[in-house]
Amino acid sequence: MNARASTGPQTAQGRARALRNAFRHGLSLPLCSNPALSEEVETLAREIAGPDANAETQDLARQVAEAQIDLRRVRYARYQLLSRALADPYYEPRENTRNKAALLRFLLQKNAPDLPVEILVAFLNSTPQGPHKFATILSQEAKQLLAMDRYERRALSRRKSAIRAFDETRRRPND
Amino acid sequence: MIRFVERRVAFVSRTNKSKTEIAAPSVPGRVQRLALFGPPPLIEGEDAAVYDQLLARIFAAVKPVDVIDEMFTADVVSLEWEVLRLHRLKWSLIRARGLEFLQDFLAKHLDYDLYSERFVDDLAEILQDDLPEDQAKEAQMLAYKCARNEADAVDKVNEILAGKRLRLDPILDHAKDHKVKELAQEYARREPGAVTLVHELLAGAGLSMDRFMANALVLKLDDIERIDRLITTAASRRDASLREIERRRAFLGETLRRSVQEIEDGEFEVIEPTPAEGKNAA
Repeated sequence: MNARASTGPQTAQGRARALRNAFRHGLSLPLCSNPALSEEVETLAREIAGPDANAETQDLARQVAEAQIDLRRVRYARYQLLSRALADPYYEPRENTRNKAALLRFLLQKNAPDLPVEILVAFLNSTPQGPHKFATILSQEAKQLLAMDRYERRALSRRKSAIRAFDETRRRPND
Repeated sequence: MIRFVERRVAFVSRTNKSKTEIAAPSVPGRVQRLALFGPPPLIEGEDAAVYDQLLARIFAAVKPVDVIDEMFTADVVSLEWEVLRLHRLKWSLIRARGLEFLQDFLAKHLDYDLYSERFVDDLAEILQDDLPEDQAKEAQMLAYKCARNEADAVDKVNEILAGKRLRLDPILDHAKDHKVKELAQEYARREPGAVTLVHELLAGAGLSMDRFMANALVLKLDDIERIDRLITTAASRRDASLREIERRRAFLGETLRRSVQEIEDGEFEVIEPTPAEGKNAA
């Protein structure tokens, strides 16, 4: 109810932010807005429909292809998110970054205690490694991964329905 | 898990053997289409050859009959890869934390005899800096005597170290840390000597590695639960793809049966008996 009653963002800042929503990971943008993806949809649709397909079959094949390319786009975005984070040697939980900044601020104050340089450097350079790093990424990026999972679920559902409709037309005896 | 998938794909393949041979797509065409389905989802440290092997095995078992079958099969491969990756991650996470607990334990319980040799080597290296090259053996001997706590040697070493603004304790701690890490790594590689020694030390303290692993599990429970949810999602999507392949195989079988029936209907015309034949019969 509240969502329906909402008139959207009111301030200029809010409107500007809402405008950028679709560009955060680009997954809500329609495939037709990207010429390269549109071309891939057409290529795959032709493969699915096969030669001498009638208009209905071609249309359903295009729906299957669109869902498939969309699915690929979502999965690739998730893969990119994980790969980039794993390749980042300085990746660490946001809480760690805040703690390090707080410690530095504290040490820059007057009358701050002396801390052995080796210990300070080791603490500042410490980042999660190996399986801990991967687990940290999954935890830190959980919100974004969940959003991507929703897109993936929708694309899978669209593809399944489109494939069933496509199969159904092929089941019907030729007129 | 691979076996489970292979059993399922083998089942799909076995039940439709004759039909799958009808329209197997050409390999170059398939490679082109696989590119359309997406690049291999490999992350840092994963072996492309192992992924290709899984891809080839599952494709060989399923024998996709058309592009849509290929789509589902490619899904099965990438989702199975994800399931395997997450299982590996879960196990590595518990194991790594378990080994950290083991290192903490060893740091407290490691016998001096087990790292004194390392201590002698480290100390001798430091002492050699102050002695001429031909007296290297003397440094080794001095370090050895110091390690055996011989008073004269300890005093002399302390004197030399003071000149270098060094102390004995950190060198001893460093040698111990090094040995602890080395022993834990050897244990992780299941080297027999290290396994026996660690188990002896643990038994002496009334502990076992299982307890460390259980502690690790408790400590990493949030991460483990998150990974388990991801595994469940990927596995259920993989199974859904396999079910779709099975459903389409059943549909393909029905289509083929109907086609065969239509061919047979066209081939064999029903011949009505003629009136003359009827009369003769009467």
